[in-house]
Amino acid sequence: MTVNGDPVDVAAPPSATLLEVLRDELGLYGVKEGCSEGVCGACTVLMDGQPVRSCITLALEAEGATITTIEGIARDGALHPVQEAFIANGAVQCGFCTPGMILSAKSLLDRNNNPTDDEIKTALAGNFCRCTGYTKILKAVREVSGQTKPSQTD
Amino acid sequence: MLEQEYSYIGKSLPRVDARSKVTGEAVFTADISLPRMLVGKILRSPLPHARILNVDVSRAKKVRGVHAVVTGADTAGEKWGVFRYTRDQQLLCVDKVRYVGDEVAAVAAVDEETALEALNLIQVEYEELPAVFDCHSAIAPDAPLIHDDWPRNINVNVKIDVGDVDAAFKDCSLIREDTFVAEEDSYFMTEPYAVVANSHSDGSIEVWMPNASPHTKAKALSNALKLPLSKVNVRKITIGGAFGGRSDVFPAEFITCLLSLKSERPVKVVYSREENSIATRMGHAMITTIKTGVDREGRVLARDIVSYLDGGAYSSTGPIATSVPFLCHEQTYRMENVRFHGYRIYTNKPVRGMIRIHGRSFACGIDTQLDMIADELGIDPVTIRLRNARQPGDTTPTGSHVASCGLVECIEKTAEKSDYLSKLKNPKPNHGIGMGCNSVQTGFPLGIRGGSQAFIKFHEDGGATVISGVVDNGQGNDNMLAQIAAEELGLPLEEIRLISADTEVTPTDAGSYSMISTFGGGNAVKTAACDAKNQLFKVAAGMLKAEPTDLILRNRTVYVKGSPDKGVPIEKVVRKALIMGRPIMGRGSFSPEVDQKREWITNPKGQLSQTFSFGATVTEVEVDPETGHVKALEVTAAQDCGFAINPMVVEGQFEGGIAMGGQGGMLGEEHRWHKGHLLNPTMLEYKMPSIKDMPKINSIIVETIDPGGPYGAKEAGMSVAMSAAQAYCNAIGNALGIYFNHYPLTSERILDAIENKKPGIRTAWEFEPAKILETDSEQS
Repeated sequence: MTVNGDPVDVAAPPSATLLEVLRDELGLYGVKEGCSEGVCGACTVLMDGQPVRSCITLALEAEGATITTIEGIARDGALHPVQEAFIANGAVQCGFCTPGMILSAKSLLDRNNNPTDDEIKTALAGNFCRCTGYTKILKAVREVSGQTKPSQTD
Repeated sequence: MLEQEYSYIGKSLPRVDARSKVTGEAVFTADISLPRMLVGKILRSPLPHARILNVDVSRAKKVRGVHAVVTGADTAGEKWGVFRYTRDQQLLCVDKVRYVGDEVAAVAAVDEETALEALNLIQVEYEELPAVFDCHSAIAPDAPLIHDDWPRNINVNVKIDVGDVDAAFKDCSLIREDTFVAEEDSYFMTEPYAVVANSHSDGSIEVWMPNASPHTKAKALSNALKLPLSKVNVRKITIGGAFGGRSDVFPAEFITCLLSLKSERPVKVVYSREENSIATRMGHAMITTIKTGVDREGRVLARDIVSYLDGGAYSSTGPIATSVPFLCHEQTYRMENVRFHGYRIYTNKPVRGMIRIHGRSFACGIDTQLDMIADELGIDPVTIRLRNARQPGDTTPTGSHVASCGLVECIEKTAEKSDYLSKLKNPKPNHGIGMGCNSVQTGFPLGIRGGSQAFIKFHEDGGATVISGVVDNGQGNDNMLAQIAAEELGLPLEEIRLISADTEVTPTDAGSYSMISTFGGGNAVKTAACDAKNQLFKVAAGMLKAEPTDLILRNRTVYVKGSPDKGVPIEKVVRKALIMGRPIMGRGSFSPEVDQKREWITNPKGQLSQTFSFGATVTEVEVDPETGHVKALEVTAAQDCGFAINPMVVEGQFEGGIAMGGQGGMLGEEHRWHKGHLLNPTMLEYKMPSIKDMPKINSIIVETIDPGGPYGAKEAGMSVAMSAAQAYCNAIGNALGIYFNHYPLTSERILDAIENKKPGIRTAWEFEPAKILETDSEQS
């Protein structure tokens, strides 16, 4: 598979999850394990541009795919606009949900660069955050999508 | 000092730790990888109450790749407790197990598969004992005893009696007695618990784990492992939330350390989500009976409260958890004559700890009952709260002077912003609005560990490193310290380095759990920075041929006041000081002014905390009477946090608090049980809000500029979570004309209350009240 732009060959048992391979074989510890049952979204990575829950994705399913983790979205030392917006808007507290949340947001914006609030919320509905109450996360994503005002009363 | 004069303080600056978190670079405990590290797994009791007859690890030890196996037999069998009088827990069970999940044995092996294989080969013989799963059953005369030294399964008995309650009741024009019940709520911090322990040949051990005070964990581990404190080094680590659930020492770290000491290799234990729920802490389920008497205008003259707290199998921070729900409300509302009996009761369930929404049956009970009283008297809910609100200069019933208090301003501002009274008078169908008020301490008496100290060192290039014991659980404490240091030292925020929360290097600190990090830790850093500044000025005075008192420090330069062209760069002063043999070394400390003789059980009076934060929250909801589904429309929270060192960070606390205490806490968060087995240990079945559920939030920061806080700051982390719970409860009640007394307010409960609605001002359900219990002594 290709991980963050690099071609990678990994030998793993058939039961290995993509999460295990990314963390334990490839040292990509930015991919987090929050629940191991596909509910919390902390393990979100992009597989061929789509957000997937790596904790319930078998590594085998990623054969031949392009995987993007949080470590792979900055370019030439410059952070991705979603990363910058999260920093600037106070959307990060403990940081454990942050990688998954950012990837879900990035994936949305790659497909739809002018989402409504509802579309943002639907895209992030699978990423659980206990610290922020989501308010500033929504604000950060709105900012990147070029909205100057909320698209409806938030 | 006016806000406009600050460079960094009072500004919504991005947090200094945000960058490493958005890149995935920040290292959490489970991310640590050390050479030759082993995987640890823990064997837990499958029974809620049983004697351990035999533990046979012989087959497990023989598995290839297993490097250590530990059981209670590898320990001295001593009982540990947060307080001397709550020593009830063997961190690895020796003779008994007391809940499903209690730790019995552990294995360290080369990988997870091997560790699990070995775990499966450990044979434990149990003799099952009868078990109890709720407070009423646990205190019944025929109940099985969970701990031999605690009769009737009463773990903690807090008794507070102020004024003359019985006489005062006689003067009341209205008296109500109601019972409020809350199921357990649970932290569900996003990061599951994990521990890494690395023992060294010099007899020392390094430990990484999420914590709310590395010094508290280190001391407890030093005692439990019988190692000198100087040999137990708890290291700094990024922490994925605590919310009160990671304060005291757990079997997890004790066991991981044992495995590392035995195998002489680093060991990592990572909890599953299920283990994080069962084997760390959860909130207390509570039954609270509140009897309140008021005068004709709704002023509270007397209150008599009895609470039963379901404490689970061990004490943890029992005396504190039992007291704080009451103490928060004696701070919030005036009540001259008040009696409180708080009983923390053992059950055969996982251990309960302090939680951000302290005692929601208590909190919601007080506020909902106020609404009921207001209803009976024909007063509106805002007026009755204003009449009873805490005022600055007051003394609380248990004897704390209240230095700063903006509660009245918070009530007025939230009522105004939400247009409360007009919505009350002109309700839309199925719409409701409700209010809750809070007050939270900023630090309690914690003896020798109640204060915070800090050092500041300068680098040759003029940058500075702050050394502080303060821990950051994700709320932004690291940033708070850096912002304060930058302000005082005249350095850009990016040039402040921070070494914190490492017990080998950093001085002691009280811990984040008593909401003291800003008040105590921030003050210590401010003092250290001022000390460093004075040392700089003494040296710079010679260089500038001026008096030290004429100098100011800004933009990396020491200036003479009024002559911005007459300055010298910081690094030159630092280097001059080094040449002179007087290197700049700032030191500072802060101990809050509390009554150190105050004790939770034996002497619950005196100054509890130097200051308190206050606030009010208003929630507006729409309820669907067909489905019982609640849609939160808008929440307005005003909190007197003293001063917002970083308004954006403070708002983040309000918003997170509303999500946890209100949207989640009141609408879906509860644990469900079957004979001591937790039915919903994971996020799949313990319902918490997603981004789609959150209402619009209005945050109003009220600043009373506390005389003791750094720049006037107090706290903002716990408070809004509490009053949000109360506000949601009252709003839903207002929408339906029902006074709810069983939490959380799931759709099932709401529909049940609608279906069985009876006339009159009464609670939705009747419960067996909590009654004063006969105990052998005042102290348990």
